[in-house]
Amino acid sequence: MENPIDLETRPDCAVIALHSVTREYTGHAGTVRALDHASFSIVAGEWVAITGPSGSGKSTLVNLIGCLDRPTAGELRIDGEDVAKMSATELDRFRADKIGFIFQQFHLIPYLSALENIMLAQYFHSMTDEKEARAALERVGMGHRAEHLPSELSGGEQQRVCIARALINNPPILLADEPTGNLDAANQKIVAELLQDLHAHGHTIVMVTHDPEMAGLAQRKIALSHGKVFCHPVGGPVVSLRK
Amino acid sequence: MFFRLLMESFRRQRRRKALAGLAILLGTTAVTAMLALATTIGDRIQQELTSYGANIVVYPAADQLEVKVGGVDIKPVPGGAYLHESDLAKLRGIFWANNITGVSPELPIHILGKTAIGADVDASATGLWFDHALSSGGAPLKTGAVGLHPWWKLAGAWPQEQHTTAQNAEAVIGATLAERLKVKAGDEIQVAGQPGNASQALTLHLTGVVSTGDAIENQILLPLNAAQTIAGTPNAVRRVEVSARTKPEDAFGRKDPDTLSAKQREIWYCRPYANSIAYQIREALPGSRAEQIRRVEQSEGTVLKRISGLMWLISAAALLAAAFAVSAAMATAILERQTEIGLMRSLGASKTTVAMLFYAEAGLLAIFAGGLGYLAGSGLAAWLGARIFATDGGVRLGSLLIPVLFPVVVTLALVVAIAGSTPAIRRALTTDPSAILRGSV
Ligand SMILES: Nc1ncnc2c1ncn2[C@@H]1O[C@H](COP(=O)(O)OP(=O)(O)OP(=O)(O)O)[C@@H](O)[C@H]1O
Ligand SMILES: [Mg+2]
Repeated sequence: MENPIDLETRPDCAVIALHSVTREYTGHAGTVRALDHASFSIVAGEWVAITGPSGSGKSTLVNLIGCLDRPTAGELRIDGEDVAKMSATELDRFRADKIGFIFQQFHLIPYLSALENIMLAQYFHSMTDEKEARAALERVGMGHRAEHLPSELSGGEQQRVCIARALINNPPILLADEPTGNLDAANQKIVAELLQDLHAHGHTIVMVTHDPEMAGLAQRKIALSHGKVFCHPVGGPVVSLRK
Repeated sequence: MFFRLLMESFRRQRRRKALAGLAILLGTTAVTAMLALATTIGDRIQQELTSYGANIVVYPAADQLEVKVGGVDIKPVPGGAYLHESDLAKLRGIFWANNITGVSPELPIHILGKTAIGADVDASATGLWFDHALSSGGAPLKTGAVGLHPWWKLAGAWPQEQHTTAQNAEAVIGATLAERLKVKAGDEIQVAGQPGNASQALTLHLTGVVSTGDAIENQILLPLNAAQTIAGTPNAVRRVEVSARTKPEDAFGRKDPDTLSAKQREIWYCRPYANSIAYQIREALPGSRAEQIRRVEQSEGTVLKRISGLMWLISAAALLAAAFAVSAAMATAILERQTEIGLMRSLGASKTTVAMLFYAEAGLLAIFAGGLGYLAGSGLAAWLGARIFATDGGVRLGSLLIPVLFPVVVTLALVVAIAGSTPAIRRALTTDPSAILRGSV
């Protein structure tokens, strides 16, 4: 995993590829360019940390990669497919298939148990499978709390359920927006270990973080500033989509 | 899973849903009550209104126009100008016979006699049907003056025409006259025969005292057959009041049938205008004139129209108010769940799926609230029916649980709930899920 892949010659290896992606928000107070001609790519199995000061466009980037949003300009390919060319319904389908979200606020449905929260993700993807959902909870060490409501779980436990939910449909990409932002040191450690374990098993992880320690766990950092991809770490080549 | 999600989510936000549910409940209660009243009791209103008086009057063709002052016929009783009581059964055979709800023949006579304590009696009297079975072979129509004058108040019992013999008859006496003659129910009046005709003496047994609010309080009311005996004019009737269910008069209804073409005339004839019923009465009773009493007939029509118009207005207003209340309640309910929507979208749920969930929730609420509203509305209708139409002892509750209304009302509740929640759901779905998940909303 330490061997850099030659993306110049094999751009199709990139599971996420941005080419000059711009996202502007137009509100009543004018236009804000949250992402400004961002170009980079991420290959399968990579763990990438996205860092930058508040308002630099990190969440915007994650939402674009997560297909919750579309670029104003530029080309964004996820798993080889051009997101801009997809219809809204295709995008919904695509998102269910390709992306597992991990949120800073966990976003578990408060009136469903841990197990049901995971089954909900199965339901929206295809069909529910309770055994599989239980196995996913076991995987994050939450098997014994399957029947508990989110309100009965600690922040760290909720985040583990959230990770189990992100994994349930075997998406090629895990997107985490500040996964440890709401956690104390002990829980941060548990989540960090979990992510490391997932990475070791070949999951592609794109993670936004403010925390240098968390960022340090990633193979590569992409720093954003004022919407521009500011710095590429050593060994992280910029991929041109033009073959 | 959808069902489980729906059930769990349905149980949440109880206060907001209770509010929306209450709005639907109130709306459907009003609508059910109005519909129940409009459908079942519509007939009853009609009955009530028609019973407030006759709308057609029939008198002998040879007669001059009737001259009534304060409800009393002041025209001298001419000899010979009579209708025949035995002809009245023919009214049951006319085209619109079933629309005739009341027939009340009258024979005014003059009574001279003495009370039991010897006071002189010199009074007007009217021979009437009180509760007469008018039949021409088929099912008889129970009718008479009592039915046509529901406001008459009686202390005692109405006279029975079957009790009339050659020497005896029953009668009721107007309150004013009773006071003047110092008689009461149970007393007797000896009526002297009138010289110069077939008039016959007999004893009137007073069965009650009647208050009518008009000049009849100065009269004696007795069965028609007794009046005919006293006056010596068997089978004679001076005047007949007829109460008929009619179509409100319009321009066509006012036309003179003799000026219409044959085809038009037939159409006119087959519409239950008071005029065409009067026309048919003229045809049925030889030597009669029948005319509508226009004032009563018209006010009936407009009152009916106004009442049902008002009912529809109230129903529509109740439903509209319910839709607005649902809309407000759903707007806050859904706003509170924006994150949930964003999350579902991030899990791959399409807008349609999310909308379905919320619509299903609103629908479930509508079915519950609409069902309750149906029951409450039926109860309300029964209660209102009993209050408004109390004259015939009210309406039984059972008769107002109209099953046909249930799907109608629940459908209306669904429409209201769905229409009411649509703006909120649409807005929630157009909001960018990424903004929601970012925590900026
Ligand atoms: N819906 C929106 N409408 C207008 N401007 C927006 C919208 N969403 C984000 N922005 C703006 O875009 C810029 C980037 O926002 P973004 O949320 O991506 O920042 P971030 O790097 O995630 O910040 P933080 O670290 O605080 O989460 C900000 O200036 C923000 O105000
Ligand atoms: Mg952010």
